[in-house]
Amino acid sequence: MEITRRNFIQLIAGGAAGIHMTPLPWKLMDDTAIWTQNWSWVPVPAEGRFHHEKGVCQLCRGGCGIEVRMVDDRAVKIEGRTDYPVNPGGVCPLGAGGLQLLYNETIRFPGPMKRVGPRGEGQFAAISWDEAYTILSARIQKLRQENRPEALAAIDGHPMESTVGLLVKRFLHAVGSPNYMTMPTLEDTYAVTNRLMFGTDGPMAYDLENADYILSFGCGLIEGWGSPGRVIEAWGRWHEGGKKSGPKVIQVESRASNTASKADGWVAPRPGTEAVLALSMAHVMIQEGLTDTSFLDSHTSGYENFKNLTAQYTPEKASEITGVGKDKIIAVAREFGKARSPLAIYGQGKGDLNGSVVESMAVMGLNALKGNIDKPGGVILQDPLPYSPWPELPDDPIAREGVSRPRLDEAGSDKYPFAGSIVGNLPEAIMKDPKGQPVDTLLVLNANPAFTLPGAARFRTALANIPFIVSFSPYTDETSRMADLILPDHTALEKMEDTGWPTALQYPFLGLSTPIIPPLVNTRHSGDAVIKLADKVGGPVKEAFPWKSFEGALKARLQGVADVGGLTSYDKEDGPPPWEVFAKSPDVTADYEDFDEFWENIQESGFWFRPTHDFRAWSSHFKTPSGRFEFLSDLVKGALQETDAAEDDSLTLVPYGLINISTGWLPSPPFLTKTLFDTQLRKGDSMAHMNPETAAKLGLREGDFILVTSEAGEIKARLHIFEGSMPGVVYLPFGLGHTAYGVYLKGKGSNPADILKGGEDPISGQKTWWTTRVKVSKA
Amino acid sequence: MEKNVNTSEKPAGSGSKNSGGLLDSTFLPPFSLKGWLFLLAGVVPSLIVGWILFPMVLYSSQQQPFNFSHAIHTNPDIGIEGETETEVCLYCHSFRDDGTFAGIPKLETCLMCHEDPESPYGDTEDEKIFLERYVAEGEEVPWLVYSRQPDCVYFSHIAHVKMGEVSCTTCHGHHGQSEELPVYKENRLTGYSIDIWGRNIAGYKVNPWDSMKMDDCAECHTETGHEENNACFVCHK
Repeated sequence: MEITRRNFIQLIAGGAAGIHMTPLPWKLMDDTAIWTQNWSWVPVPAEGRFHHEKGVCQLCRGGCGIEVRMVDDRAVKIEGRTDYPVNPGGVCPLGAGGLQLLYNETIRFPGPMKRVGPRGEGQFAAISWDEAYTILSARIQKLRQENRPEALAAIDGHPMESTVGLLVKRFLHAVGSPNYMTMPTLEDTYAVTNRLMFGTDGPMAYDLENADYILSFGCGLIEGWGSPGRVIEAWGRWHEGGKKSGPKVIQVESRASNTASKADGWVAPRPGTEAVLALSMAHVMIQEGLTDTSFLDSHTSGYENFKNLTAQYTPEKASEITGVGKDKIIAVAREFGKARSPLAIYGQGKGDLNGSVVESMAVMGLNALKGNIDKPGGVILQDPLPYSPWPELPDDPIAREGVSRPRLDEAGSDKYPFAGSIVGNLPEAIMKDPKGQPVDTLLVLNANPAFTLPGAARFRTALANIPFIVSFSPYTDETSRMADLILPDHTALEKMEDTGWPTALQYPFLGLSTPIIPPLVNTRHSGDAVIKLADKVGGPVKEAFPWKSFEGALKARLQGVADVGGLTSYDKEDGPPPWEVFAKSPDVTADYEDFDEFWENIQESGFWFRPTHDFRAWSSHFKTPSGRFEFLSDLVKGALQETDAAEDDSLTLVPYGLINISTGWLPSPPFLTKTLFDTQLRKGDSMAHMNPETAAKLGLREGDFILVTSEAGEIKARLHIFEGSMPGVVYLPFGLGHTAYGVYLKGKGSNPADILKGGEDPISGQKTWWTTRVKVSKA
Repeated sequence: MEKNVNTSEKPAGSGSKNSGGLLDSTFLPPFSLKGWLFLLAGVVPSLIVGWILFPMVLYSSQQQPFNFSHAIHTNPDIGIEGETETEVCLYCHSFRDDGTFAGIPKLETCLMCHEDPESPYGDTEDEKIFLERYVAEGEEVPWLVYSRQPDCVYFSHIAHVKMGEVSCTTCHGHHGQSEELPVYKENRLTGYSIDIWGRNIAGYKVNPWDSMKMDDCAECHTETGHEENNACFVCHK
C-alpha cells in the first residue's frame, strides 16, 4: 500500500482531532497555569501554624508597636499593633519592610570578623567572639597604660536615654575617655530648646491630638516625623470619610512635600528664613492683641525684649526676607492667634538629623504668646522618665584624668555650651593633626556616619586617618566596611531593647521590645558585648559593670520607672484613646503590684505609660532660674544674624527625607526601592527637583544629567522640573547613593549628604546641613 | 509544483467516486476509505494517549508513611466523640484559639492518646511504625495532604464549618469512615493531589466532594445563595 503525503496528513489530522476528544489539552492547560505558580524562585511562605508575636519597632525613634505574623518560626509580615497606645494600628513603610533587614543575609555580617584586605574593600575573615573581645580589650588596655584613654572614642546612634547607649557612655567614662558622641538628631534640638526655654531635661511633648490648629514648621507630619504610626493615624482620622475634622494644619516648608500638599494650608518661606517668619507672626499677634497676657505676665520672662525683637520683623520686612506674601503672614498669624489651642511645632522633615535651635526657639515663642504650654492641646512640660541611676563609677585615677581632658568635638566647652555632642566637628579635630592620632580607636554603634552625616565625604577622609575602627553594626554599611573589627549586634527583631520615649509623644512612655525570633547568625547584643568587653579590660573598668548582662543593667534602671506607677496594658476596644484620657488627667494607679510584676507585664505588652499630667502647674514645671518661660531674645537675635544667606548666582541645595526609604543608619529594605517614583529615582540616578523658572535660567530641561557642586564636592543627578520647588533651590532626597550593601541598594542614586556643607548652628554648634550653596551645571 | 498538485488531486477525485453511498455526504470530506482509515489511525492512538496514558503519566503514586484508619478513630468506643459528625472530626482536626484551622493534626495531638511508645495502642503493623518511627523519635509524621490548595487561595474553614454550617463530608466525602488511606496521587506538573482536580480525568463529578477546583467552590456558593462570595478577592486576596 502506497502511503501518500495526503494519507500522512490525514493521520496527523486524525491524531490532532482525536487528542481534542480527550481531557489532555484542557487538563494540561490548567496544570501548566498552576505549574507556573510553583516555580522554585516564586517566594511562597512556609506551611505551618500562624501566630503573632508582639514587639516594638526599633527602626526609628518613633517606637511604634508592631505585631509580627509568624508561620511556625518564620516571620512573614510586620503590621502595626492595635493594642499599643502610640500607634493605634498603623506602621510606616520602613517598619512594614523591616523583615528584609532581618532575613537579607547578603547585607549582614555572619559573626565577629576582622579586616583582612585593604581598608574599605570589605574583605573580612571570621573570628571567634573571644578573639574579637581580646583584640579590642588589649588595645584599650594599652591606651590606658599609655595614659591616653581619651584616644578611645565612640559614635553612637542609639536614641537618647537608651540603655545600650548609656552602657557605651559608661564604658568610655570607665576607661577614661570623654569622647562619647551621639549622632545628631532632631531630639538634640528639642533638648536644647527645652533646656533653655523651660529649664527641663525632659523630652519635647506635643499634644497634637488635642490641638485645634497646628502650625508645623517643617515637620514631615505624614512623612515619618515623630512616631509615624501615631501621626499618620491621627492625620487619617482627621480626614476620615472624606470629611475634614480635627485641627487645621498649616505646613511651613519651602517644598511642596506630601505634608505641604495635603495640609489645609501651605506657607513657603525661603529655606533658612523660617525663624524670621515665626517672629513676624509673633509680631502680628502682639500688635493685634492675640496673646494670652495673663500667661505672659505671670509665667514668662523677657517678654518685653521679645516684643522689641519681633517689632523688627514687620510683615513687610519679613516678606522681603522670607519671600512669603505679607498678607499671608498676617492671615496665618491671625488664625493662630484666634484658635483655642493653637500648637506651633518645629521639625526638620523626618527628624533624622538635628534642626535649627533658633528656629525651634522662635516657634516655641508662638506657643508662649498664646500661653499654650502645659495645657491639653499644647506643648507639655514633661520631666525625663524617672530611671534609677546606676551606681557611681569606681574611683580610678587614669579614668578620672582622662575624662577631664577636653572633648574632641568641643561639645559642652565654652564655645558650644549647649551641645551634648557634635559629631560634625570630629573630622576637623582629626584632620588638624592626623599624625597625632587624637582618636586611636573608634567604636561605632547604630550609626553609619560615613553615609548619613552631613559632609559624609569629608568624614570618610577623617575615618581613613583613624588607626583602628570597631563597628558594632550588623550590616555591611559604608562605615562598617571601613572598620578593622566587626562585633555585630543582633538586628531589631532578634533582641531585647528599650525604645524609650517616642519622639514628641505627649505623655510619659517607655517602650520595651522583646525578641521575636532567636538570632539567625552569630551575633551578640551590643549591651552584652560592652559588658563582656569591660570584663576583659578588667580592673576598675570591670568593676564599673556589676551586671551579668544587658538585661540586668536595664532592670536596674527601670526600677525607678516602675516605682512611679503607670499602666502596662491598654484596651483600645473599650476605653477612650490615650490622648483623650491624658487630656482629662485621671488618677493613674499602677496596674502591677511590684517590680517583678511590672517586669513581667512590660515584657508581655511592650510598654509602660502614664497618661496623666498636672496641667497648668507652670510655677513648678518651669525649671529655669526665673521659674518662668524664657524668651531669651538676645540669644535668638544673635543667632538670627548669621542665618542671612549671601545673594549670588549659586543655588541652595536642600536635601529631604522620604517616608518610604530609610534615611538614617539602617539600610532600606529592597522592596522599598520599588516604591520610588521615577521623579525620585530614575534608573540609577537620583532626581533633583527644580522650579521651571530656575531650570530655564540655567538652560536645563527635564531629564538632563546634572552635576551639583558644593565646596565639599560634587554629585551627579538627573533633573526633574517640579513646580512645587522654590525658585533658586535644588532638592535631592536623602537615603540614596549607597556605595555599600550590594546589588539592591548600591549605586542607586547619589547621596546628598556627601556634599552638604552648611555652617554651624550658632546656638548648638551642630551643622546647619539644611542649606548648602551649590552650582548646578549640565553633566 | 504544478505536477505535484495534479498528482495529489488524482486520488482525491477517484476516492470520491469509489466511496459509494456510506461516506458520500456533503458534511464529510470526500476522502477515500483509505483516507478515512488513516484518519482513524490518528484518532485512536490519540484517544488512548489522552484517556489512558496521559493520566498514568501525569500522576505519581505515593504511599502515606503508614496507614491510618479513620474508622477506628471515629468509633465512639475509643473515646473520640462529639454530638455531631462535625464535632467528631473537630476532635483531632481542630480550630486553633484564633479561629484558624489546624488541618492535619500535629504529633502533639496524637500524643494525647498515644503518649507512650510502649502503650497497648501498638498492635498493628501501622501502629508499630507510628510509635517506633515517629512517637519515639518525636518526629512529625510527613502526611501527604489530599486537599492542599495552592497558596494563592485563601480558604477559611471556620467561615464554612461554623458560620456556613457546611458539613465536613460536603468537601471531604466519607474520608472520616475510611479504613484505609487512599493512595496519594500527586500531579507531577503542579505538585498538588489528584483530589483537587478529581479522580476522573475528564473532570466529571457525581458527588460534591469529587473535585475541589474553583468552579466547585463557585457552584456551591451559587447554590447556597452566596453568589457574592464568587468575587475574585474573596479567595484570591
